Amino acid sequence: MLRSVHRTTSAARIAQLAKRYSSYASSVFPDEPSVPQLKTEVPGPIGTQLNTNLGDVFDNRAAYFVTDYYNSIGNYISDADGNKLLDVYMQIASIGLGYNNPALKQVAKLDEMTTALINRPALACFPGVDYQKVLEDGILKAAPPGMTKVWTATTGSDANETAFKAAFMLQAARDRGSRDFNQQELISVMNNEAPGASEKCILSFDKAFHGRLFGSLSTTRSKAIHKLDIPAFPWPKAPFPALKYPLKDFENENKQEENRCLEQLEDIIVGKGKGNIAALIVEPVQSEGGDNHASASFFQGVRDITLKHNIFMIVDEVQTGVAATGKFWAHEHWNLSTPPDMVTFSKKFQAAGFYFRDPELQPRQAYRQFNTWCGDPSKALIARTIVQEIEANNLVAATASVGDYLFNNLSSLFEKYPGHASNIRGQNMGTFIAWDSPNADHRAKFLLACRAKGVNIGGCGEAAIRLRPSLAFNESHADVLCGIIENVLGEM
Amino acid sequence: MSICEKYFPREPSAPVVSSSSTGEASKAEIKTLDKTFDSRAAYFVADYQKSEGNYIADVDGNLYLDVYAQIASIPLGYNNPELIKTAKSDKMIRAIVDRPAMGNFPGADLKEITLKLLEFAPKGQDKLWSGLSGADAVELAFKAVFFWYQSKKRGYAKPFTAEENESVMKNQAPGSPELAILSFERSFHGRLFASGSTTCSKPIHKMDLPSFKWPKAQYPSYKYPLEEHKEENKREDERCLKIVEDIFSTWKCPIAGLLIEPIQSEGGDNHGSAEFFQGLRDITIKHGALLIMDEVQTGVGATGTFWCHEHFNLSPPPDLVTFSKKFQSAGYFFHDPELVPDFAYRQFNTWCGDPARMILAGAIGDEIVKHDLAAKAQEVGDYLFKKLESLQSKYPKYLQNLRGKNRATFIAWDLPSGDARNKFLSDMRAAGVNIGGCAEASVRLRPTLVFEQKHADILVAAIEKVLGSY
Ligand SMILES: Cc1ncc(COP(=O)(O)O)c(C=O)c1O
Ligand SMILES: Cc1ncc(COP(=O)(O)O)c(C=O)c1O
Repeated sequence: MLRSVHRTTSAARIAQLAKRYSSYASSVFPDEPSVPQLKTEVPGPIGTQLNTNLGDVFDNRAAYFVTDYYNSIGNYISDADGNKLLDVYMQIASIGLGYNNPALKQVAKLDEMTTALINRPALACFPGVDYQKVLEDGILKAAPPGMTKVWTATTGSDANETAFKAAFMLQAARDRGSRDFNQQELISVMNNEAPGASEKCILSFDKAFHGRLFGSLSTTRSKAIHKLDIPAFPWPKAPFPALKYPLKDFENENKQEENRCLEQLEDIIVGKGKGNIAALIVEPVQSEGGDNHASASFFQGVRDITLKHNIFMIVDEVQTGVAATGKFWAHEHWNLSTPPDMVTFSKKFQAAGFYFRDPELQPRQAYRQFNTWCGDPSKALIARTIVQEIEANNLVAATASVGDYLFNNLSSLFEKYPGHASNIRGQNMGTFIAWDSPNADHRAKFLLACRAKGVNIGGCGEAAIRLRPSLAFNESHADVLCGIIENVLGEM
Repeated sequence: MSICEKYFPREPSAPVVSSSSTGEASKAEIKTLDKTFDSRAAYFVADYQKSEGNYIADVDGNLYLDVYAQIASIPLGYNNPELIKTAKSDKMIRAIVDRPAMGNFPGADLKEITLKLLEFAPKGQDKLWSGLSGADAVELAFKAVFFWYQSKKRGYAKPFTAEENESVMKNQAPGSPELAILSFERSFHGRLFASGSTTCSKPIHKMDLPSFKWPKAQYPSYKYPLEEHKEENKREDERCLKIVEDIFSTWKCPIAGLLIEPIQSEGGDNHGSAEFFQGLRDITIKHGALLIMDEVQTGVGATGTFWCHEHFNLSPPPDLVTFSKKFQSAGYFFHDPELVPDFAYRQFNTWCGDPARMILAGAIGDEIVKHDLAAKAQEVGDYLFKKLESLQSKYPKYLQNLRGKNRATFIAWDLPSGDARNKFLSDMRAAGVNIGGCAEASVRLRPTLVFEQKHADILVAAIEKVLGSY
């Protein structure tokens, strides 16, 4: 376990650390611009031309702009025209250490990386001599409290689906007891029918996002466009609390809202889902669905209900994980009495997969949780460096501290523009901060105006704006960000 | 000098298996790894830095001739110098260090990288979408098929109805429609939930997972040698095509796509004739469904053509062709512009592939074309097949249904039982060859594309030695 990463840190200590470590960006990215550098519109003529050409071979309708990764640095993303934007979206929350991080460059050049890339093993059959150590020094070193095992995958969706598989297999094994598969199961499964094919389900929450393959998409409930025309499993969903902000003004209402959701959750479990729910999956902060938060006591309630009904609790930390919330894993904020059963990761960790506690979540028979590659050692090497950089530079505490600074500054800023930005949320959650525009059009205008002034920023949900900066984001970046937001709001 | 000698001047000339070694170092490492990472499927612990060309090294100092090659996924041998160059290039370093969310922030070089991959696209295909593994590739292809199918009904780029928008959030029709993918018994297409629903090779792959109730047709079971059973095998094709036709006409929901491997690999290296595949092509067209060729295992040179289905000369070509494994990058090729979904953010995810893997795939394709490695695989495959045929006449019991003639090194045969097969595989390892099985009692060869006659000789000698001892 990585003590220094998980250690809870007092406020005074955070302030002290922040001073000491706020220089992470300045020390590793001495050439990072101090403000956005704009030469043309974004995208400019070169980028627009490149994007048009790209459209011949790639569905580029979601492209913000064509990016020059060679010239991106630290918190600044460069477009093809040489404009450098402060990036608080960071490849949909998946760049942890800033662009062109020297520690990552170093590991990318190692022979260890070369061999991992070009001799990619079928890991479960022919693991390489160093994989155990690479896991131990990286992915496992950052394991959430209580977790000692990991299964590796390739994307967020894949991570969640392999976790679902573990849940289904163990639930069935428990129902089956000590006996082996019977003839009826062996035959029916080949026809995709019960009892061999499970009729159990995964329960998720309204507005959740857990990925877009068929199992994960069946648990995703964020937007219709994510799901339309794709066959889905008839799995249940429970309501997720819709909290009112500022939290301190709505303590009672919010408590009631969370209780309502917990009650409905339990109703579903004992009602139409009775005996049929293998696992529940939940994000610590529903990210794609609009940055919806809930309190630690809500999540403790979820944990209690899942334990009571023998349902596995999967915490999806694909977007929240790896220090952005001021803890290495966001669910550490909850101090659950019993840790979750599985925690999934991807994005900022670059490697994907899930951690777990109960050794039985590794299926009783070999070759059940299995595929050709079972992960990717080259990504495990990157994850190792990410863990080491976070630890050596205390980036968890630094992110907690800069997040507090940013939250306070944005809060006072938004007081001046009440019609334009409401429901700021993510207090004490590092830089994992969001707020709402009055509507989707306003949001679109706001995002474009920010881009025009040199900030790359993303939306989520219907009308929310979310911040997903890197872990190298410090107070000076926060000042630039707030300055530009103020400018934009002033002009809207 | 052969290509292999050029690439690998230091490749061992023969396997090295220490007779005293009982694999203690591997056993110890597997035990440690297993504490945190399920290692029960491990054959041995490999030392990749010491592996070279067609030889894989383990931690006990053994060097095996590898004709399994990471479940058919090492194309150009271990530590190929050209791939080392690619891995150390600035382009690669950049791709590893700053992995983009490609759909939102494509790099300036994405077009170039994509065009390079498209140089190796199967005949008739000129577009691609990228994923990360075989199962991912297959499921992304399903999504494209379902989007296409519904947009044919609705009209391409026509808006969704309110009812669709509402029902989909409850995972109910019409927004989440009831549609099926038709696959085949004994097929293998991956192990996530939708790919797993089409996989039908072994119960252990599927047990206890929820699955879509999708239909399965029958894949031909031929009699070997093919030359001696032409009539029977033709009738077998007809029987199987009839079943497909019947399922299309009677299945309880529309079938949007038909998914098939050119050679069913995990399911036992089962082959189908060009006529059979053309028959499938015709049926899918007749019923307005798409044909997906799963070339995850057969693709990238191993059958003597870059893509195995090119042997069939299908007309028109398949609608989607999935790839992964030896190409190192995964995804699907296609050509119909309407297989690009009608709205943005439908075929989408965080990374939408991995430029690092795409760059590697480009380099792999370049080497294969430059050195004509698919044709060379065909030559060495022919050579090997003849040698195996003569061994077969000596040991008919242990080399049943020898198959894969004219499919380069994609060769397989059956042993009398699962136990006999497993014993054979482990005896082969003791004789210095790492070799894999498939289905219940089959042995399959999946060497690299730099497997040459001298390697074939070593392989055949090892087989002969093992069978001679039975
Ligand atoms: C919480 C969460 N889970 C899963 C995913 C899916 O990850 P991927 O896009 O890598 O499949 C995402 C992606 O945004 C996510 O935010
Ligand atoms: C034909 C075929 N399709 C799909 C797959 C699944 O690939 P992966 O294991 O990378 O998910 C395989 C793997 O063996 C395969 O052989």
